Amino acid sequence: MKTNVFSRYETGAFFDEMFDRGDDRLIRPHYQKILERISALNPLEYEEKRSQAVSSFLEHGVTFTVYGDSEGAERIFPFDLIPRVIPGNEWSVIERGLKQRILALNLFLNDIYHQGRILQEGVIPREIVETCPYFRKEIIGFHVPKDIYIHVCGSDLIRDEKGTYMVLEDNGRCPSGVSYVLENRDIMKRAFPRTYQSMGVRSVEAYPELLLKTLEYLSPRQSQKPVCVLLTPGVYNSAYFEHTFLARQMGIEIVEGRDLIAIDGFVYMRTTQGLVQVDVIYRRLDDDFIDPSFFRKDSVLGVPGLMDSYLKGNVALANGVGTGLADDKVTYAYVPDMIRFYLGQDPILQSVPTYLCWRDEDRKFVLENLANLVVKPANESGGYGMLIGSESTKAECNEFKKRINENPREYIAQPIISLSRHPTFCNDELAGRHIDLRPFILYGSDLEVVPGGLTRVALKKDSLVVNSSQGGGSKDTWVLKS
Amino acid sequence: MRLYVYHRTVYTYPDPVSNSFNELRLHPLSYDWQKCESSLISVLPSTCLREYLDLNGNLVQYFEIPTEHQKLTIEARSVVNTVSRVDFNQFPYGTPMSTLADIEKRVNCRNYLQGSAYVELNPDAWKQAIDLGGNSGDVFQTAYQIMEFIYSNYEYCISTTSVDTSSSTVIRDQKGVCQDFAHAALTFCRCLGIPARYVSGYFYDHTKDQSMRGAEASHAWIEVLINGHGWYGLDPTNNRVVDDTYIILGTGRDYRDVAPITGTYFGRLPSSMDVDVSVKKLEE
Repeated sequence: MKTNVFSRYETGAFFDEMFDRGDDRLIRPHYQKILERISALNPLEYEEKRSQAVSSFLEHGVTFTVYGDSEGAERIFPFDLIPRVIPGNEWSVIERGLKQRILALNLFLNDIYHQGRILQEGVIPREIVETCPYFRKEIIGFHVPKDIYIHVCGSDLIRDEKGTYMVLEDNGRCPSGVSYVLENRDIMKRAFPRTYQSMGVRSVEAYPELLLKTLEYLSPRQSQKPVCVLLTPGVYNSAYFEHTFLARQMGIEIVEGRDLIAIDGFVYMRTTQGLVQVDVIYRRLDDDFIDPSFFRKDSVLGVPGLMDSYLKGNVALANGVGTGLADDKVTYAYVPDMIRFYLGQDPILQSVPTYLCWRDEDRKFVLENLANLVVKPANESGGYGMLIGSESTKAECNEFKKRINENPREYIAQPIISLSRHPTFCNDELAGRHIDLRPFILYGSDLEVVPGGLTRVALKKDSLVVNSSQGGGSKDTWVLKS
Repeated sequence: MRLYVYHRTVYTYPDPVSNSFNELRLHPLSYDWQKCESSLISVLPSTCLREYLDLNGNLVQYFEIPTEHQKLTIEARSVVNTVSRVDFNQFPYGTPMSTLADIEKRVNCRNYLQGSAYVELNPDAWKQAIDLGGNSGDVFQTAYQIMEFIYSNYEYCISTTSVDTSSSTVIRDQKGVCQDFAHAALTFCRCLGIPARYVSGYFYDHTKDQSMRGAEASHAWIEVLINGHGWYGLDPTNNRVVDDTYIILGTGRDYRDVAPITGTYFGRLPSSMDVDVSVKKLEE
């Protein structure tokens, strides 16, 4: 291994994060130090560090659940020891772009749930908004606390074959993954302490503190220390580990629906010392389930009467109700227009060109060019139910054509983007694997972006799907100070 | 210096108002000594924001809200990189007062030599200006003396003056806030034939005890034209030559040209106006 693990590494026809393209494979300068460190590892040391990481994940119980899988529900999130490095100047553009985006999305939600200027001016078709399954008519006219809808946003970024950063989607409901960011960092600091220190990596450890500040900012009772809780759907949720992790880090209670009770427009938590009034709920379950008396009648996860308290302004929810509208992949196609409309600026981060099957000419194009496109359902997340044209059989394509024709509003298509690749350990060998990046943006008294985020890596060879539920792994993300 | 400014203004009205039209001068400009890295301006209720460059070269955002509303929130978040344009060991001395006669003929200086809405040039002001200039024969030194005089003799007190107070009142009462101090300084400079303009912006209070006056709000100061050296900033509120801790939003003849927020609407006066400004230093 000492002969250099990188000697047989091939960048292929992709944008490689570590090496410049070309025969001489120039190393990008921000990777120099970590490359030297990795090259100096002998197989024994590598194996030692890897098993340390695995046992650390197990000890901390860093697991997630794969739905629709019969063999044991919980798994460790596979982790790769080579960090992804982002130089400071690249990051500052990403940071600016993300802030611009979350601000525009919040202005959009404020607009849609109030006067609807953007619809009146014809920038976004009214039909699109009203047919979105996550559009909540019930809260039209309601002023959410501090006029903020999305307090925690996780936007997925990818890089194309030229290395340009693009936004792939926004997660404005309950984005998860931040616990892995913090755990990964913990492991990396122990695995490569000196390299970590010498590279001037920006810290991510402040996240739980910033999140708590964001939650407390929403409290309707400013006279006293706000009581914040984290509402989880329970132990079977795929992100349950993260819920417990964040609650512990913030020092707040983790509760299930049955631990809360709404009385006369106030929400209380049952404790061993009686009922305690709750001010802010960081809820990690979707709108549909939070209140059976308001949304889904069959939900046993929620709290009857919660929405009543919310609408009376006695309790704040983060994220707010109705944010799913911003996650809709049809709405996504209009985000650049939103930015121009509300902020009078051009978008800093590009979006992926998106064909809306809802538009006649787009649908025609999609049906004719299915083999070169990725088709995604507009309102699914986690990489479920999508079709990658180039890798699908004829039968699968025909099936999708039928679905698109039956329900064009529910499908969008995008060109297949060759995601950037990153050297990754696969079976004791280094190979290029496709990656993306999910940074986390907090919107409380001001906008904050944690430097870095979760770099997800598609561990299957040539796979473009990085979702953890589809066999993805993760890497630590090092944002450099300069 | 890399600085972050957060500036929020919230108007609350006792009854719903409508047909609101507003102009904002909240976007920092990019000059030789200041580069605006990013600026996000947002308005609630959500509306369409458009922009234009005004005659003084300031970037103006404008919007209208036709529907009824009881609250108007305007937020600006900007990141600005500044460099100091003065060398504190080498002020631009050496431009004699006699050269001002040439400057007077320049068309682009005329605006900054005359009286304007808030700056009243009258015999009283002129007499005092002559005294302040004393026997100084140097343009920068004269302007500096004017700044020092105002700083040492005027009382800084909030809510004794209003946005409509003109320079003659300030010179008579010798008290006010940064806007008034700037108007007084402009008056004296212009009386003596030194081209002087009003600057609106912010500053980062770098003092350990946060002793500078006018932080946590929009600030105002003046700039004087030193022939052959360009415009120099002087802050009469803090007795400082403007350096890289200052951020410029816009310049004009006086407050009227660069007011951060101006507008009209149908309805009663606001029951409250909350302004929140914070300037933070960022890592380079």
